[in-house]
Amino acid sequence: MAFQSRNKFCYFKENGITDIDYKDVRLLRRFVNDQGKIMPRRITGSSAKMHRKLVRAIKRSRSIALMPYVDLGSE
Amino acid sequence: MRYYETLYIVNPNLENEALDITMGEIGTELEKTKSKLINHRVWGKKRLAYQIENQKYGSFILLQFEGGEQDQMNEFNTWMKLNNSILRHMTVTLDDKPEVYEEKVKEEPVEKEVSEGTVKETPESDLANETTSDETETQPDVTEEESTEEAETTEDVSDESSEADTEEKEAE
Repeated sequence: MAFQSRNKFCYFKENGITDIDYKDVRLLRRFVNDQGKIMPRRITGSSAKMHRKLVRAIKRSRSIALMPYVDLGSE
Repeated sequence: MRYYETLYIVNPNLENEALDITMGEIGTELEKTKSKLINHRVWGKKRLAYQIENQKYGSFILLQFEGGEQDQMNEFNTWMKLNNSILRHMTVTLDDKPEVYEEKVKEEPVEKEVSEGTVKETPESDLANETTSDETETQPDVTEEESTEEAETTEDVSDESSEADTEEKEAE
């Protein structure tokens, strides 16, 4: 039983996205775990350049209450 | 000059007229900074990811403009902070010039709905009037009958009692 390697790819490069808008919550939700934490680059596979843009967008949308700082799930 | 985008959250309980007034105030305040307004539109009422001033919802308004004088921009920023109807605001620099937003309004279906609503309302209102009039006519009759019946019963009782009295006297 050998470990199978997953194909990691940059989501933004595949879809031709160059700029990330902080208002696009549906896109940003993909790169955040259940708790609302930003997922690391080694898991999402996004390139360093796009990951920096992604982090900036997520932090902006947090500050304007579009995304949670901490997602407790139950409300 | 640079282009900026300000997204701000307004108290959701404000009515449309009050919302327009606050948007107008913000527009006039921005004009003091000599910046050119490009877009100023309501983005929509959304659920906040966390409560701000005990509000769960907020109406988001997007404001895009070409930057004016820097000192007055800072004043505008503090003015936005001190404004009580604004829950939160954030200004971001844009890379490119934003396109002018044009609302795609479909007027025809809206008009149809309104016309149907008016047509439907008229017969219902007539029916409602009829029923109320019937009720008003019938109600007084009922009350009169009841009153007469009550009077008869009282008379009967009095008769019986008088008869009983006479019977007792005869027995004596």
